[in-house]
Amino acid sequence: MRVTQFMLANNMLRNLSNSYERLGKYQEQLATGKKISRPSDDPVVAMKGIAYREDLARVKQYQRNIGEVHNWIDSADDALDKVGLALQRIQELVVQASTDTATPEDRKKIADEIDQIQKHIVDVANTRVGGKYIFNGADTKNPLFIGYPGETGFAVNGNQGDVEIEVFDGIKLDVNIDGKTLFTGIIGMLDNLKAALNDPNSTGSTIDGYLSQVEAQQDALLSARSELGAKQNRVEMMENRLSTQEEIATKLMSNNEDIDYEKTITDLISQESVHRAALSVGARIIQPTLVDFLR
Amino acid sequence: MLSTFHGLEVAKRGIFTQQSALYVTAHNIANANTPGYSRQRVNFVETEPFPPASMNRPQIPGQMGTGVEAGSIQRIRDSFLDYQYRNEASKLGYWSTRSEAIAKMEDIMNEPSEFGLSQAMTQFWEALQDLSTNPENEGARAVVRQRGVAVAESFNYLYSSLSQIRDDLGQEIKTGLLEVNSILKQISELNEQIKAVEPNGYLPNDLYDKRDALVDELSKYFQVKVETVPSGGNALDIAEGIYEISLVNQDGSTVKIVTKDSYSKLSVSPSISGDPTNPDGYISEIRIEDVLGNITTISYNKFDSLASGRIKSLIEAYGYGSDPDNVKGYYPDMLADLDKMAYSFATMFNAQHREGYDLNNSNGVDFFEMNVSDNTTGKGAAASIKVSDVIMSDLGKIAASSKSGESGNGNNALYLSMIKDVQITNGSATLPSGSGTTVSVPITGGTVQTFYQGLIGKIGVDGQQAERMKTNAETLATSVDNNRQSVSSVSLDEEMTNMIKFQHAYNAAARMITAIDEILDKIINDMGIVGR
Repeated sequence: MRVTQFMLANNMLRNLSNSYERLGKYQEQLATGKKISRPSDDPVVAMKGIAYREDLARVKQYQRNIGEVHNWIDSADDALDKVGLALQRIQELVVQASTDTATPEDRKKIADEIDQIQKHIVDVANTRVGGKYIFNGADTKNPLFIGYPGETGFAVNGNQGDVEIEVFDGIKLDVNIDGKTLFTGIIGMLDNLKAALNDPNSTGSTIDGYLSQVEAQQDALLSARSELGAKQNRVEMMENRLSTQEEIATKLMSNNEDIDYEKTITDLISQESVHRAALSVGARIIQPTLVDFLR
Repeated sequence: MLSTFHGLEVAKRGIFTQQSALYVTAHNIANANTPGYSRQRVNFVETEPFPPASMNRPQIPGQMGTGVEAGSIQRIRDSFLDYQYRNEASKLGYWSTRSEAIAKMEDIMNEPSEFGLSQAMTQFWEALQDLSTNPENEGARAVVRQRGVAVAESFNYLYSSLSQIRDDLGQEIKTGLLEVNSILKQISELNEQIKAVEPNGYLPNDLYDKRDALVDELSKYFQVKVETVPSGGNALDIAEGIYEISLVNQDGSTVKIVTKDSYSKLSVSPSISGDPTNPDGYISEIRIEDVLGNITTISYNKFDSLASGRIKSLIEAYGYGSDPDNVKGYYPDMLADLDKMAYSFATMFNAQHREGYDLNNSNGVDFFEMNVSDNTTGKGAAASIKVSDVIMSDLGKIAASSKSGESGNGNNALYLSMIKDVQITNGSATLPSGSGTTVSVPITGGTVQTFYQGLIGKIGVDGQQAERMKTNAETLATSVDNNRQSVSSVSLDEEMTNMIKFQHAYNAAARMITAIDEILDKIINDMGIVGR
C-alpha cells in the first residue's frame, strides 16, 4: 500500500483526538464519581439507577415517618406516666379519706386536692405535641376536653379516629390511643369520688368502696400503656428492618453507578501513557523527506 | 534518408516533454495539502516512427523513433473507492446527526441526576409522605404545594426545551437543504465547464477534483447515485464526462436531482410561506423541482426507504406525517409521551384529591390544572400543567384527610403519594384509596413511574445504538478514505524522485542538442575546405 505524509499526519491527529476523548471520559468519571453521565453511556445502569434512587428515597422517608411515630408514642407514654402518678396519689388520698377518723372537713380538703388533680389530668389529656392534640383521635386540631369538669361549658370532643402513619410499603401503624374512653372514664370516676367525699353522710366504708374503682382506672391506664409498649416494639422492629434496607439500597445504588476509584485511576494512568506515546509518535512521523537530502 | 535536423527535433521534443512533466510535478508539490486534490501525471507517448508504412517510403533499414510527446495529463483516482466512500459518508451523516439529536435530548432530560423530573417526583412523594404524618401542619402543606409546583414546572421545562430543540432541528433541515441546493447548483455549473473543455481533447483535472469534492459533501446529506454521461466531440477515452446525480431510495428506485444540462431544487412541504426549505411543524413530503418547474415528491410514508444521510436523520428527529395530528418522529414521540405522562399523573392525582377532605371539612378540589385538547392522548398537558389557583391561594384546600372533620388524619395524603406507583391496566387505573373509583388515562400499562423509566431507558438504548453505529461508520469511512488517499494523495518523496528523473532526462536531451550542434558544425564549417 502506498502511504504518504498526508495520510500519516491525518492518522496521527485522529489517534490523538480519540485519546483525548478517552482521557475526557476518565476525567469526568473521576470528577463525578459516577460510571455514567448520560443514559446512553449505559442504559441498564441508568434505568436501574432511577429505580435504586427511588428505593433509597423511600427507605429514608419511612425512617423520617418513624421519627414521627416515636414522637406520638413517646409523648403519649410520657403523658400517661403523669396520669399514673396522679392516680397513685388519688389512691393514697382515698385510703386516707376512708379511715373513719377522717372528719368531713378533712374529706373536703381531700376532695379539693382531688379536684386539682382532676384538672391536672384534664390538662394532660389536652397535651399538645407539635401543635397536635394527641388524645383527641384524628381531630388533632381540637382538644379532647373543653374547659374543666364542674365548670359551665365543659364538654368532651372525643373523636375516636385512628391516626395512621405509613412506616413501610403498605404497612401503616395507628399511632394514637383511644383517649376519649380512657380519660372520660378517669374523669367520671373522679367526679363520683369528689361527690362522695363532699357528701357529709359518707362513711369510711363508702369511700373505701371507691378504691376498687380507682384500681379499675389504673388497670385501664395500664392496658393503654402496654398497648403503647407493643407499638413501640413494633416500631423498633420496623426500624431495624429499615436500617438494613437502607444499607442494602445504598449498596445496590453504589455498586450500580459508582466508579471503582482504583480501577479508574489505573485506567487513567495507562491512558496517559498511551497519550504520551501518541504524542511522541506525532513528533516522530514528521520525518525529513528527500527534499532535505537533495542538493 | 533521414532529415539533417532529425536529431534536433527528437531532442527538442524530449526537452519539451520532460519540462511539462517537471511542471506537473511542481503542480503536485504545490497542491500537496489541498483537500480533495488528486495527484496528476503526464502520460508520455512515443511519437510516430519514421518512415510510416506507405507506398513511397524511403528504403532505409527499420523505423527510426522520432521522440516523445505528452499524450495527456491525467489525475490518479479510483472511482470505485469514491463510490464506497460516499456510501459510508451517507451512513456517517445519518448516524452522527441522530446521535447528536439524542444527545441533546439526554442533556435536557438530565437523568440520572439530582435535578431531573424523577427527582422532582420523588421530592413531591416525600412531601406528601411528610404531610401524611403531619396533616394539620401548615409547613408540611406549604412544602407539598411547592413541590407540586416543582413537578409541574419540570414538565413545563422539559416540554418547552424539547420543543425548542425541535425548532432548532427544523432550522437545521432548512440550512441543510439550502446547502444541498447550493451544492447541486455548483455541480451543475462544473458540469457545464467540463462539457466545454472535454470535447477539445483535454482533461479538466482540477474541475474533476472540485466536482468530486462537492459530491463527497452532498453524500453526507443524502445517499446519492452518480452516473456519467460522455460529453461527446473529441473527448478522450479517459475523460470522465458529465455527472448525473440521483437520490436513492432503499428499494433502489431513484429520483434525478442533477441531469446533464440542469439541476433541481429541493424543498419541503408544509413550509413557512415564502421560505420553501423551512419546515412548518412537520414534514409531509420532500419536493424536487426541476428547471422546467416539474415537481417530483417523496411522500412521508416513503421516508423510511430513503437510504440514509443527514437530512433523513433530521427529518426523523423533527417529525413527519400526513397532517399535524399524526406526526411521528423522535422528538414528537417524546413530547407526546411527556403529555401522556403529565396527563395520566395529574388526572389520577386530581381524582384522588377530590376524594379527600381539606381543613375546612369540604371535599378536595383539583390539585393540578391543565389545558388539554384531547383526553385520550393528553395533548397539551405537559406544556400547560400547573398547580390550581385554588390551592395556590389557600393551603387549607389541600385534602390530606380521608374523613371529614379529622384534621390529624393523613390517609388521603398517603394515597396521593401512591399515585405515581398505581398500576394501570388497559388505560384504566383504580385509585389507591380502595374506594373503587377508576380513572381512564392515556398510559396503557405499568405505572407513571415505570413509564418514565421506560422513556429514559429508550433514550439510553437509542443513544447508545446511534453512538455505536456512528463509530462503525466513522471507522469504515476512515478506512475507505485512507485507501483513497493511498491512491490519490501526493507523496513528496515520490515527487522529488520524479523531479530528479525528469531533470536528468531534460539535461540529457539538452546535451544531445549540443552533440548534434557539434556534428552540424563539423559538416557546415569544417567540410569542403580542402586546399584552403
